[in-house]
Amino acid sequence: MHPILSQLRSLIWYVLAWVIAGVALAWVLVVTDSASWGAALLFAVPALTALGFISLSAYYVCRAYPLANRQLQNMIFIFGSASILSAAAWVSLCLFVNTIGLYTEINWVGISMAPQLITSLFCLASLLYLVSLLAHDVLLALENIRDAELKKTAAQLFARDAELQVLRSQINPHFLFNSLNSISALTSIDSSAARAMVIDLSDFFRKSVAISCQTHIKLAQELELCEHYLAIEKNRFGDRLQTIMNIEAESLTAKVPPMFLQPLLENAIKHGISNMSEGGTINIMSKLHDEWIYIVISNPVEFNVSPAVGTATGLRNLRERFENLYGERARVSWQATQENFSVEVIIPFEPANTLL
Amino acid sequence: MSLRLLIVDDESLARALVREYLASHSDIQIVGESTNGEAAADDIVRLQPDLILLDIHMPKLNGLEVLEITGRTEGVIFTTAYDQYALKAFELHAVDYLLKPFSQARFDEAITRAKKRLDQDHQALSALVQEIKIERILVRDRGKTHIIPLANIDYIEAEDDYIRICWQGKSILKTQSLSALETQLNNAEFIRIHRSYIVKLDAIKGLERINKDSQVVVLQSGVKLPVSRTGLERLKACIV
Repeated sequence: MHPILSQLRSLIWYVLAWVIAGVALAWVLVVTDSASWGAALLFAVPALTALGFISLSAYYVCRAYPLANRQLQNMIFIFGSASILSAAAWVSLCLFVNTIGLYTEINWVGISMAPQLITSLFCLASLLYLVSLLAHDVLLALENIRDAELKKTAAQLFARDAELQVLRSQINPHFLFNSLNSISALTSIDSSAARAMVIDLSDFFRKSVAISCQTHIKLAQELELCEHYLAIEKNRFGDRLQTIMNIEAESLTAKVPPMFLQPLLENAIKHGISNMSEGGTINIMSKLHDEWIYIVISNPVEFNVSPAVGTATGLRNLRERFENLYGERARVSWQATQENFSVEVIIPFEPANTLL
Repeated sequence: MSLRLLIVDDESLARALVREYLASHSDIQIVGESTNGEAAADDIVRLQPDLILLDIHMPKLNGLEVLEITGRTEGVIFTTAYDQYALKAFELHAVDYLLKPFSQARFDEAITRAKKRLDQDHQALSALVQEIKIERILVRDRGKTHIIPLANIDYIEAEDDYIRICWQGKSILKTQSLSALETQLNNAEFIRIHRSYIVKLDAIKGLERINKDSQVVVLQSGVKLPVSRTGLERLKACIV
């Protein structure tokens, strides 16, 4: 269906414009002595309103014949014949209705149809139909541009979602293989420790799969996942990996995106602890302050390890993810000194109502 | 004759696993265990083991840096959990490596192969070490390892059989040729401006003309270095 027919407002304006054109035509008829005011209005207003609706068919002509694959001659032929046919149909309709009107022999019904008037009406209708064709071309072109833009935005959104899916489901192969190597060693040294580590590893993966499907979780859930992760890594690094958790109870119910903290801990180990022969302590802090949740992770780094921050791709991805979720209302910042690296995440506090 | 072997890994469980696998090899004697790259370099120089089981990712120095600094080119079996970059290089040079976690059978196979290779030439490892792009320069001086991140370096100067590395007002000598170092550096950041000089691009402040046909490079630190005609062309190519 023509788009204008489904929008009542624009349809009313459209019909009104044609009614005005009808009044103008009636005036011409009166001025040229073709009819009295009554007869002229009765003829011209319905006639031009009808022409308005006939002109809408230009939409289908334009759509059936898209701008992209047009040739000039074909275009002139098709537009020309469409205008002539429509005008002929409209004039015939006018003549038919007018003739019936004249039969009633009421003096304000029907106008006298001189040959010149018929010719003029035909030319007018052809011209208006041509204008309608061109107007529809412009309309369709604008619509195409808008469609293309919508599609582009949708594609970008989709790509972002897909990327996030990949980021979330990504199991760090280094972590997995090293853990399996530790288990392999533990099986003969301490079989119950090996079993405990297998269970930790299973719990970690099970939980990460479960929370990755959520759009948001409680901070408590994310921290639980981190604890499984740290338990596994403590098997590998032994005393070299120490952690201090400083978690305010009020912050535990905060709504957070899943899997944002665990990758930060992974970085703290990869770029910090694993480069230090004596190891070090990772500090994890969270607090609620003035309706904002503050989360800080800091870890020592080995002096002279270059580059100190790496390329920070992971951190930039995280910043972008928070930007998409919270806009201006979130902040992800990091700070590197020669001995320490810390990441601070600030998000608006919102209590999570998830059942998980 | 028993083979003397050094275990290098920062994870104690990984070392324990290797010890366990070695129990069935009565002809191999474990002479030491190193828990970081720097200790490994010391142990290699001090103990001169026949075989080294060398982890790649370690504190202080990584496995490849340990080889570079000790000049060791034989009897090395790399161990790693996952390192696409290194693995590609190993494949390219047909260097043997063990992927963690590995089985006793795979371990035995690597040991057997390493034993056979002990007396052959060792081009592969030196070529491997030589081609890896470095992130810092390592210098061993009187039993101590100095680590100089490339980011801190101003320039490197050739001095007879040595190179002098200059950074933040300090300098140190290393036994290496300037050309050998040049191949290890990223040539978008470091430029050979002269037969005897390599300079870091962002340490340069500008060029100064001394007379009609010679110019010098002036560094941020105020140091002036001679620049040859080809050096000048290289410099211009980098800046444009």
